[in-house]
Parts: sequence; structure tokens; C-alpha cells
Amino acid sequence: MSAARDIARRRSRLRAALPAAGLLPLVLWQIVFFVVPVALILGLSVWRSQSYRLIPAFTFDNYIAIFARPAIWRALLLSVETAAFVTVACAVLAYPVAYFIAKKAGRWRGLLLVAVIAPFWISIVMRVAAWRLLLGERGVINQMAIALGLTEAPMSFLLYSPVSTAIGLIYAYLPLYVLPLYAAISNIHDNWIDAAMDLNASPTRTFFEVILPLSAPGLVVGAVFCFVFGLGEFVTPALLGGGKQLMFSQVIQDEFQRRLDWPSGAAMAVVLLVLVFASLALSMKWIRRASGETGL
Amino acid sequence: MSRLSLGWTLPAYSVLLYAFLYLPIAVIVLFAFDAKAIPGLPIDTFTTDWFAVSLADTRLVGSLFTSIRLALLAAVLSTALAMPAAMVLAWRPVRMKSLVLCLVLGPVVLPQLVLGLGLIVLFRAAPDLIGSPAIVLAHTTMTSSYATLMLYSRFLGFRRSYIEAAMNLGADEFVTFREVVLPLVAPSLIAVLLLAFTDAFGEFVVAWFLAGFTETLPIAIWTSLRQVISPKIYALSALVILVTLFVSVSAQIWILGQSRRECES
Repeated sequence: MSAARDIARRRSRLRAALPAAGLLPLVLWQIVFFVVPVALILGLSVWRSQSYRLIPAFTFDNYIAIFARPAIWRALLLSVETAAFVTVACAVLAYPVAYFIAKKAGRWRGLLLVAVIAPFWISIVMRVAAWRLLLGERGVINQMAIALGLTEAPMSFLLYSPVSTAIGLIYAYLPLYVLPLYAAISNIHDNWIDAAMDLNASPTRTFFEVILPLSAPGLVVGAVFCFVFGLGEFVTPALLGGGKQLMFSQVIQDEFQRRLDWPSGAAMAVVLLVLVFASLALSMKWIRRASGETGL
Repeated sequence: MSRLSLGWTLPAYSVLLYAFLYLPIAVIVLFAFDAKAIPGLPIDTFTTDWFAVSLADTRLVGSLFTSIRLALLAAVLSTALAMPAAMVLAWRPVRMKSLVLCLVLGPVVLPQLVLGLGLIVLFRAAPDLIGSPAIVLAHTTMTSSYATLMLYSRFLGFRRSYIEAAMNLGADEFVTFREVVLPLVAPSLIAVLLLAFTDAFGEFVVAWFLAGFTETLPIAIWTSLRQVISPKIYALSALVILVTLFVSVSAQIWILGQSRRECES
């Protein structure tokens, strides 16, 4: 009897330990390779560096020093502007397609959704390489424009400018915006739309007073991800931006890897982190409010 | 069906947007066949020579195989980390669940640049790991987040009644897992493996920071983008892109079919 009870007890103890055992590896892994690196960056940002050597300290000099550099402000401003522009452009471009897939595509919706996301899985370096072929002075777009007689001289602003960075980023994050929008729009019942029309609302009014407010959760979630990813994106501005007007991410990389000033690079990285988490925290409120109103 | 219809404008716009999404892909594939050494319009002669040239380039092919090897490792590792965690998160009451979810979500929203720089600092404590091991560790961190979130949402929709039935019939946790849970989640596991592989395969920034002398395919392409690009890069990219599209599309259609079958049943 007691042996059987022993086994039962051991088994129940095992059962109690299972959840912890399942979670622990992932949690430990994320602590070592995610929390610790972020903490290291935070720590480094208050250290000092003297002739490429790191000196432990607790000083905010790095922050004061980077904000005294006009180039940092310019890069930060360019990054925020570009990310904001890309977010708005993605919202405008993605909305009709998300609506089409959610409401009009019928049984093709799954396939169409997959087709939107598929390019997102291709390596960013290859996607950017493709945009170089398209945007260059002798690129596909310029040669088409000349052949069609739209311009006489190639448009040189297309490549190696903030314009090309913005195009590359819009291309990269459009699929990411369609997903939450699609989810929000498919949650809008058709009879809510029909009710508005039955009550003699014009299509425009139905859209602005019924459909658009109800898709707010998707709009906000998509905007946050677009903005946050756009702020920190490095490959696209590095390969398409041309290097005359640097984005914040490029300045951080430069500080770390070329100027080898880790503490001040870390301070810039912390500024980026603060921006990212501020936009997340700000939108959390909005996401909750938006979903509270729709009762989702 | 709603009566709010815009006639043909919505479908027409959607066609245009899909064209925009697939234009760069089409251009890379097109220029892989351009006979000129510096690709550009108009294409007079088509050739398949660049494919042979790129596959004969040992450095390029070597970087391709490095990428495949490292991405495989990262995909297996991250799925192995994600699967038990997602099961616990979805089916068990977890103390401080939101904290754990934050820990899982963190690497998704953290700028890759910042994670990469933090890992550079971390691996100063273990410089021997720089190169392939560091890349695998970093990619596992990034992909295990996505993998956990995907599996978590799949497991939430999973019918608990199957598990309860098995347990009521006397199966213990391990038998239930082997006989009931595993066969049911196998398709999503494979889908998650494939997506984690694709993600790790294409990642550039963090790998570049931690690579040392290791060269993955994205790093090799990045390096070649600094000079005049040889069409052989486009040829290899075209091959890789087509495989990537095939893998990611089939993985996602698989997930889709799976959830649809569950809805119907």
C-alpha cells in the first residue's frame, strides 16, 4: 500500500513540476540572451571610455554628450520622420487590400493573405538588393520612365536618398500592416454595415462612422509595429539611403563599430529603446480603449 | 454580403498592390537571366549561364551552406524551447504569466540593432563563441519568440477535451503527450520549424555583428552590394527566393488548412 502511495505522491509531485520544467528552458534562455544583453547596454551607457578603454562609472555624461551633437538630433529627427511617414503610407496602402481580403475575397481570402505575407519571409538583404535594381539611375523604373517619355533625364533622387529608404521600408512593412487590419476588419459584422446603409448613411459616412472606428484596433496595432520597426531598421537605410543623410540606427552602428565608442553608442541605443517602449506604452492604452469600445 | 461596394476599384487596387509586392522578386528573377555583366534594361539576350557561374563559386555556395546549417540548428533549438513553453502557457495556470509573455515578446519588438550590439558586449565574455555558435544562439533567441507566440495561439484553440478524454481513460501525462498531443500538433510544429528556419536563414544584422570570419549568405550578399554586383548574385538570390517563397507559403497554407479543419469539425 505504502509503495503505491509513494508512487502516487511522486507522480503528483512530478505533475506539479511539469509546468515549471516546460517554461524554464525558454525563460532562462531569454534571460541570458535577451535580458542580459539589454541590461549590458543600459549599464554601458553610464560607463566612461577613455582612449578605447571602458571604465566602470555611473555618469550621464554620455547622454549629455550625444545630445550636444547636432548630427545626432538630425539623425534622430530623420528616423522619426521616416518611420512616421512609412507608418502613415503603409496604413493608407494596406487598408483597401485588407478590406478587400476580409470582405470581398470570399474563399480566396486565405490564399490572398498568405500571398501578402510571403515576401516578408525573403531575406531583407535580397529585397533591398532588388530595390537597388529598380531605383538606380539606370534602374528599371528610370528606364521605363524615359522610354515612356515621362522624364528626359533619369530621376537621381530615387536611389541613395531618404526617398529610397522610405520606399524600401514601406515595401518591407506593408505585409505586417495588412495582418492586424485584416483581423480587425473581418471582426466587423456585415449587418452592422448594412444597418448603417439601411438608415440611409451614404457609403462615405458608413465608412467614416462605422467601418473605420471599428477597425481602430487593427490600425493602432499595425501602426505601432510599423513605427517601432521603422525606427530601428538598419539594413534598408544602410543600403538604400546613400550615407549622406544618416538615420539614427546608422549613427549607432557607426559609433559602436567604427568609432568604437561603446558607452556613447550604448547611450544612443538606450534613447532608441526609450522611443520604442514609449510608443508601445502609449499605444497599449489605445489598443485597450479601442478594443473596449468594440467589445472584442 | 455587405452592400458597401466600390465596384471594380477595390479588386483593381488590390491587383496593383500585389504587383508592387512581387515586383522586386520578379526583377531579381528576370535579371538572373540577363546575359550582360552589368544588369539593366533592355535585356537583349537571355542566358542561364549565371546559375552555373554562381553554383561554381565555392565561396558563395559555401556561405549558402553555412546559412542552411546555422538556420537548421536555430530552427530546431527554438522549436524545442518554444513547444513545452507554449504548452504550459496555453494550458496551465502560470504565475506571473504576463511577465513571462513580456519576456517572450521582448525580442520581437526590440530593435535587432540593439539586440545585436548587446550580444556583442555579452560575447566579449566568451570570445571563442563568436562566429557560428554566436549566430545560432542569437537566431534562436529571436526565432523562439515567434515560435512560442505562434504555437501558443495554436494551442489556445486546441481542444482540451481530447486531452481530458485521454487522461480519463487512464493515460498519464507522457502517454497523453505522445499519443494525443504530438500527433495533433505535429503539422503546426513542422510549420513553425519551417518559418523559424526561413527567419534565421535570412536574418542579417545580428549575424553580421557576431559573425567574426563566418560568412552567411545574407552577409555575402551584403558584402557584394558594396561593389558592382555580379549577376551571379542575382542568380543565386533568385533560386533562394523561389525556395523561400515555396517553403513559407506551404508552411502557412498548412497552418491555414489545419485551423480550418478544426473550425469545421
